[in-house]
Amino acid sequence: MSKVFVIDIGRCTGCYCCQIACKDEHCGNDWSPYAKPQPDTGQFWLKIDEHIRGTIPKVKMHYLPHLCNHCENAACITACPHSAIYKREDGLVIIDPEKCEGCKKCVDACAYDAVFFNDELKISQKCTGCAHLIDTDDDVPRCVQSCTTECLQFGEEEDLADLIKDAVVLKPETGAGAKVYYRNIPGRFIAGTVYDPVEKDVITGAVLELSGIGGKLTVKTDGFGDFWFKDLPEGAVYDLVIKHDGFPDKTLPALSTKNDINLGDIPLR
Amino acid sequence: MKGKLTEFDLKDQKKVLRGSSLIGTAESGSPVVADVADGRITRIRPLNFEWQYERKDFNPWKLEKDGIVLESPNKTLPSPLGLSYKKRVYSKNRVSYPLKRVDWDPDGDRNTQNRGKSKYVRISWDEATDIVAKELLRIRDTYGPEAVYSQTDMHGEGKHLQTSHGCPNRLLSLLGGYTIQLRNQDSWEGWSWGSKNVWGCEAVGEMVPFANLYEDMAEHGDMLLFWGCDPETTPHAINGMMASRLCYWLTDIGLKSIYVCPDLNYGAAVHADKWIPILPNTDAALQLAIAYMWITEGTYEKEYIKTHSVGFDEFARYVVGEVDGEPKTPAWASEKCGVAEWTIKALAREWAKKVTSIIHGNGGPYIRGPYSTEPARLESILLAMRALGSPGVHQAKMIEWNLFSNTYPLPYQGKVRPYLPNFVEVQRPANAETGGRFHYRGDDPALAEILKPMEHPPTQFIPKCMVHDAILNPPISWMGMYSFCGPAEEQWTHWTYPAPGKSEIHMMWTDSPCWITCWNDSNKYIEALQSEKIEFILAQHPWLENDCLMADIILPVATKYELTDVGDDVGSGTFTSVFLEEHCIDPVGESLGDFDAVAEIAKKLGFWDEYTKGLSDEEKKELFYNGSGIADMCSYKELKEKQYYVIPCVQEETKKIPPGLRLFFEDPENNPLSTPTGKLEITSTDLTKYFPHDEERPPYPKWIEKGESHDERLTSERAKDYPLLCVSNHGRWRMHAQCDDITWTREIETMKIKGPDGYLYEPVWLHTSDAEKRGIKHGDIVKVFNERGVVLAGAYVSERLIPNATYMDHGARFDPIITGKVDRGGVINTLTPHNNISKNATGMVVSSFLVEVEKLTDEEMEGWKRDYPEAFDRNYDLATGVSLTGWLIDEEVR
Repeated sequence: MSKVFVIDIGRCTGCYCCQIACKDEHCGNDWSPYAKPQPDTGQFWLKIDEHIRGTIPKVKMHYLPHLCNHCENAACITACPHSAIYKREDGLVIIDPEKCEGCKKCVDACAYDAVFFNDELKISQKCTGCAHLIDTDDDVPRCVQSCTTECLQFGEEEDLADLIKDAVVLKPETGAGAKVYYRNIPGRFIAGTVYDPVEKDVITGAVLELSGIGGKLTVKTDGFGDFWFKDLPEGAVYDLVIKHDGFPDKTLPALSTKNDINLGDIPLR
Repeated sequence: MKGKLTEFDLKDQKKVLRGSSLIGTAESGSPVVADVADGRITRIRPLNFEWQYERKDFNPWKLEKDGIVLESPNKTLPSPLGLSYKKRVYSKNRVSYPLKRVDWDPDGDRNTQNRGKSKYVRISWDEATDIVAKELLRIRDTYGPEAVYSQTDMHGEGKHLQTSHGCPNRLLSLLGGYTIQLRNQDSWEGWSWGSKNVWGCEAVGEMVPFANLYEDMAEHGDMLLFWGCDPETTPHAINGMMASRLCYWLTDIGLKSIYVCPDLNYGAAVHADKWIPILPNTDAALQLAIAYMWITEGTYEKEYIKTHSVGFDEFARYVVGEVDGEPKTPAWASEKCGVAEWTIKALAREWAKKVTSIIHGNGGPYIRGPYSTEPARLESILLAMRALGSPGVHQAKMIEWNLFSNTYPLPYQGKVRPYLPNFVEVQRPANAETGGRFHYRGDDPALAEILKPMEHPPTQFIPKCMVHDAILNPPISWMGMYSFCGPAEEQWTHWTYPAPGKSEIHMMWTDSPCWITCWNDSNKYIEALQSEKIEFILAQHPWLENDCLMADIILPVATKYELTDVGDDVGSGTFTSVFLEEHCIDPVGESLGDFDAVAEIAKKLGFWDEYTKGLSDEEKKELFYNGSGIADMCSYKELKEKQYYVIPCVQEETKKIPPGLRLFFEDPENNPLSTPTGKLEITSTDLTKYFPHDEERPPYPKWIEKGESHDERLTSERAKDYPLLCVSNHGRWRMHAQCDDITWTREIETMKIKGPDGYLYEPVWLHTSDAEKRGIKHGDIVKVFNERGVVLAGAYVSERLIPNATYMDHGARFDPIITGKVDRGGVINTLTPHNNISKNATGMVVSSFLVEVEKLTDEEMEGWKRDYPEAFDRNYDLATGVSLTGWLIDEEVR
């Protein structure tokens, strides 16, 4: 039995209600023995990271809520010389504010930068999964309860299995067994607009063939002359060929998805 | 795991409801639940509608397309501001006791020139109300009752017993009258002064009725144009977060979302299928080019135009260049609006092919720039050319679904729509009857007697956008008497100030002290407020912010968490509900509710009984609830037990209401619009009649490069010095001026940018290329300036903005370095144009104006620190920003 978070990045509007609800619950409120108050500003037991991708006008954004992963093999637990960190039966990982001696080893051990050192209280702190609420009157932590689109979910791992099956965890290479699952984190994109520089019209229905890792992908331009290849792997290299009746093929070689690529307005003559 | 007893769950957490909207008088908004223990707010959470009921009790509404469902969740969807409001209640910027400006002496030197510079000392309520009562009588008896100017309009907490705005008017009526600040059509400038002349659509010129719009789009539509619309910003603090779910649903069922706006706004960032960046306030060029494409390619709805409109041919001749020799081609438009010629053509052709509606917040900067009448009515005309009212062809909004239409665009309507009355006095001059919008609508004579308007309504008014002129350069004159809702005929009325036989104003009483950060050319306003002519400025407000810093006396006001009330939510789009707002916490410091604060003054003047009607809050709650129209569905006793009541939906019935302007589409002769001809007036009958030669608002809309009122284009001579067009939106983390002090939102990267000096600066957006040209890096302290002033800001450099533009939200708090000239808080409205929309259209212009942005040099900052040390010595809380102690004189020093 393990409590998990499942976060659908494709439904996150970046409203920050989760980050704010976390502060509302934990700043200025003492929930010992689960947690002492979170500092009012500067630390985030749940933080939204903003990602702006591409260049004008092909710009996309996504937001990534980032919190303690309540790992199966939590490095913080191992690192703590005072046995102040424990994993509950339900999977939530808690730093006991009474036992913590403030050595900061857990802060360094966490691969997710999810443990904070409270300089005033001289203890380490992090997301508790609002265990104090789970144990009393609520089924879900405040961040989940306040999520406006239900992109943040919390529950038993087996109950959420359908959502988890195509989800990923952050930094899987650590082998920590993170219990925060992410769905629909967008991959890289290659996008542009194809137009006829003589007629000064977009070209609709042009065929774009993208060759590289994983074979060949084909899309067509839409009514705005736009094309999008989405969810490409990061750091791959592709050749793009643009084909349209009555126009010579145009090849754009060696496009690297180190970053998202806006090829801009591409004249097809 | 359950049953583990801990210290905190032994504590009694009392649960009380509060509305979370910050729109003001009209409604309370999405209810939230506050937990309270030991007299302190523990937390604020969404209300679970099923707390006291079962979902089936609500007869829940539901929209479905291809098996994809949109419905209200079982919880309310409060905004991030509603959820963080605890920090607003306990802000370090709260006014906790009455304050007096230290060098303002009502019996001696008033030092009006020091407003916005000198600090405050604490006084008692008794002393404060003595001064206020004495001044009110002195000014009335010296100059006449109109010498008192009431600034008491619009946004704030939604309250009914102690309304955030308007309580002073009740007392001023008892004193014999006053001059009222008339809230113009702020929010609807272009619609009101432009679109109304095309399609009527009273009261504000946005398309009405709203009935069933989204269901109709879902059924028939292909494409949505989010034109200058940010559904992930504007709705938040007004109606909550239902718009987010609506946007995802519209995408899920296959509608394409095209965003046309200078900035990749927060809605576009996550919902857009395509973003078409456009230079600020050049939409009219793009719209004319679309009309050109449709006319020259013959793709508009010609039959509809013949049967449903008048005056199309004149407009068409202008579009194709027969009037001025300039065809409004995509190439012509591209140069002006920055959109590629091929993209303009593609948009015109896609729109001609696909069933399309246009979506807005209220329009924002798109209809609030110079000559905003033109893009607004061009939009109405483009919709006419696509057979407005036909299946899937509408204008619709993501906010304020409860305003100006008796029907809703989502089917959450109940059998009865509750109207909670209140005590505020009319917000319009002269005729008390027309101002009854927020008053009792029921038929209980006893209640009608209590709630009836006072005897002396205001008899003189000043349009809000012209206060500075009224004070500095009277007499002034203008067209129109709109108070955000008024019939189009009012456009043709001419007014002057001072009104014949009336006094100029000599005292100002504000309960909405946000003019500086929200209105036009506010450095000029600051100059006006420093005039000797204004002998006394009284502010009442919970926080020491913005115009409060210009006041002579400030009365401390309690927030709604400190007051008890009855609340309503008719606009969130989830369910309609009415709820009790029972005691939560005691007032902070010596603060009182707005109504009670004024009552203290009434007491000194001998008007206590007449002002209060002798009713307690408990009595008023019951009375107001019983007047709301739903008491027979849920008695007050039952409401007391359950704290809220959800009005069951009647979707079966509301479904039968024709969507939008469908009846006009089907039979225009029998379902006329409210225009003079009853048709869509592509060329306006009234404008032809009243202002046939107005080059700034001609009978049909035109592209106006510049005119006698405004010169704010990149082609201007001024652009040599100020080469960036500044767009100014609603902030995502504020409701206009509200909530700039919430420490938890201030650490969000789009809310504030921490300068190297630790000060949290208001962000100013620049495109990467413009920043590079100026040697500006993300996070630098920059100055944004034009002839009207300088504001400091933190550079937000990204690809989210079109080049040659800059973007800065309004609503940042005033923190003057040189009062009236240089502001550190980032009040961009100090740089906004002075003049009205155009010479015969009375409204503010607060977006799309020329500025330059430069990196602030250390030398310049050091110079200010040397020359204006008091501005830097003020105590500034790094997390909260401007705070009370910065403007207080130490008791010891006094």
